[in-house]
Amino acid sequence: MATGNVPRPPDPPGPRTGYLPWHGRRWPRARTAAIGVVLAGYAWAAGAAEPFSTTSLVFVLIPGVVVAAIAVAWPPQRIPPPEKLDITGMFYWVIAVAALFEWEASAWKDNSLPWHPSLTDLINPLLGPHLVKSVAILLWICVGWALVRR
Amino acid sequence: MDLRRLGAGAAVTIMSTRAVTIVGFVLVIAAMFLLEFLARRPGSRIPTVGQWLGYLMRPRIGRVLVLLGWWWLGWHYFAR
Repeated sequence: MATGNVPRPPDPPGPRTGYLPWHGRRWPRARTAAIGVVLAGYAWAAGAAEPFSTTSLVFVLIPGVVVAAIAVAWPPQRIPPPEKLDITGMFYWVIAVAALFEWEASAWKDNSLPWHPSLTDLINPLLGPHLVKSVAILLWICVGWALVRR
Repeated sequence: MDLRRLGAGAAVTIMSTRAVTIVGFVLVIAAMFLLEFLARRPGSRIPTVGQWLGYLMRPRIGRVLVLLGWWWLGWHYFAR
């Protein structure tokens, strides 16, 4: 059997080719998983912090500082924004956002009484369980990261 | 007078102001989810949240304000 003409696959990158072990396909997944675990742990710890405490303030300040630092010093590759928006399509959003603000403002103006609660009054009890609050914090951090990429 | 028009009549369910407020919030937030769903359909003229936020964040001041708004939400709900 003639095998002399069969092209050989290229040699795997050696230690002196500039190929680093974490340049492989598995690294981004491993890195993403590691960051996910760290963020989940952070959110779990932050969810346990007592409201109106210095600890809870610090737990919220840290993601803000980190996101701001990334946005300023190490901006990731951004998703290109649209050059222009469709006026009609955007108007639907304006109506919805304005309605939300108006509804919230009317409740706030009325001192958020029990019979006219604000969104905060409705959401705060839902955030009572530790797990729910931690998930919400994790979601908030993810939204911050998504905004940095915009 | 028509006696049939007087009296308690059929039972009337009165919705409390609290319920009206909650229904209002649910309707508005549901409308936002519906808009996002419609925006993701092919050929839609409605922008997604990401698109219009990205558009607002094109100038530096927009970027700063949106990120500040994001941080304020976290402070408001998680630190207080």
